[in-house]
Amino acid sequence: MKKRLFAIPSLLAAGFLPAEVEAFPSKPTLTDNGKSPSLFDVFRMDHVYTLAGHRSHSSHRSHSSHRSHRSSNGGYVYRAPVYRAPSPSYAAPLYNPPTPAPTYQAPATPPAPAPLKTLPGNANRFKEIVREVQFAMLAFGYYNGELDGVMGPDMRAGLQRMQADYKLKVTGTITPETLDALKIEAR
Amino acid sequence: MIPLRIKVEANAEQPFVVRLRSFEAMPGTERGACHPHDVCLEAVDANGAEYVGEGGSLRILGIDPSEIDGDVLLVNPQRGTADRIIRSSSPHNTLLVTERCDQLCVMCSQPPKKQHVDLFEHFAIAAMLAPEGATIGISGGEPTLFKDQLLGFLARVMRAREDLHFHVLTNGQHFDDADREAMHALDRSRVVWGVPLYSAEPDVHDEIVGKPGAHEKLLSNLAFLCRVGAQVELRTVLMRPNADGLPRLARFLAASVPFIQTWAIMQLENIGYARQNWSRLFHDSSSNFSPIARGIDFARSRGIDVQLYNFPLCTVPLPYRNLAPSTISDWKRTYLEACRDCRLRNHCGGFFEWHPKEHGYAGLGRAA
Repeated sequence: MKKRLFAIPSLLAAGFLPAEVEAFPSKPTLTDNGKSPSLFDVFRMDHVYTLAGHRSHSSHRSHSSHRSHRSSNGGYVYRAPVYRAPSPSYAAPLYNPPTPAPTYQAPATPPAPAPLKTLPGNANRFKEIVREVQFAMLAFGYYNGELDGVMGPDMRAGLQRMQADYKLKVTGTITPETLDALKIEAR
Repeated sequence: MIPLRIKVEANAEQPFVVRLRSFEAMPGTERGACHPHDVCLEAVDANGAEYVGEGGSLRILGIDPSEIDGDVLLVNPQRGTADRIIRSSSPHNTLLVTERCDQLCVMCSQPPKKQHVDLFEHFAIAAMLAPEGATIGISGGEPTLFKDQLLGFLARVMRAREDLHFHVLTNGQHFDDADREAMHALDRSRVVWGVPLYSAEPDVHDEIVGKPGAHEKLLSNLAFLCRVGAQVELRTVLMRPNADGLPRLARFLAASVPFIQTWAIMQLENIGYARQNWSRLFHDSSSNFSPIARGIDFARSRGIDVQLYNFPLCTVPLPYRNLAPSTISDWKRTYLEACRDCRLRNHCGGFFEWHPKEHGYAGLGRAA
């Protein structure tokens, strides 16, 4: 047992990674029905700034999705993906109405000054973060392109698949949730 | 080449202006800082990117949101396109005020058209959303054909945004003394007027711009610009018809318009009419720099700041290279195969994307 606990991390350290894995941020069972902050919450990375789709971190605590993945031994759990047959009640839709173009009604507010504030070096930092995300996604088998720090269709598709597999909100963007799941700190 | 027009899906009756915000992995940006004219990135999939704002939602197709964060778009919902009228990552943003012009220059890069749509309302919104400290170019056509709207637009935006600078390209044909007040209303330190003068000889100038009497009118309006204290960047496109006259033009500038901020000597851009007239107009400055050098030397000896625009560094003799900044706008700049190992590449403006490979400069090659 002990051996196995050590074996996996050292394989990881050596760069031997399964092609597609399910790695959930684990949560110990020793919580009082999720009322007090879990270890996941305690050790959740604190990003210095807020990213797409998230107004604040406090909203994290109410996500039920974090509660549903448990494992008893801590660390990452690697399982073969389980195939689930589609439920019998599901019927494929026969007709998909074409999605109309989204509606936009320009606000009638008079032009008001709203300078775009860009911090020096932002572009480089963005590239750095994207490169880290690319590396992590490569490791988990969701991306196999260049580690160039550039967002492209492959990255978007990979992010969507990863977010769906990890039961995160599927946005195709680098959300704080995604960074948490990949253990990347955006500083 | 950087795309200036992108595909958009939006259901709206009229064209509108929006700024795109992605707030994705960007330090120091807060989603809460959404302005009524902003739309924020919601999700990206294989088909496009979904943005949501106060006015509703729209989809951007064919370009990754990370490349257009902070851009200001003028959306044409009927055609399903949007012009990136202000690109947040670029120092080269120019608002095209009109396509009409009263001159017809032999080397015009953007031949004029008759029709005109007044977009000043949209430009005002767009300028308000521009990145902090930006310099916005105003071009055409001839912007001062709509002088009242133009001066009103500048005054209004510059009052609201004290961090913005403007660079206005005008042929200087349409000012008169009645504009004195409107010109005084502008913070003159934040507007540069780029005005073309091709020759000290009226005939040569008038022939180049295709308008008799243009030279005379221009000189009296340069005097007007001097009286209102405007910053003038005098622009001379280098061409065969005026190349040999540069030393004389330099003497004329020093004697008659010494108040100018800059004298910019510009290499020809192979597009528009210049493409048609290329063999008749292009002056190969790499094989004959001498009239340019004499013009530069004289003007500088009289305290006029001279700049060389659109000259690849390897075509400029070493003593004059410091006068040639990288001026070709990012979206139309390219480099040749020979530039690959050049150590000056990062300081060099390179070539216009459309520069002809076969009939350009005789003396090209690594500058260093």
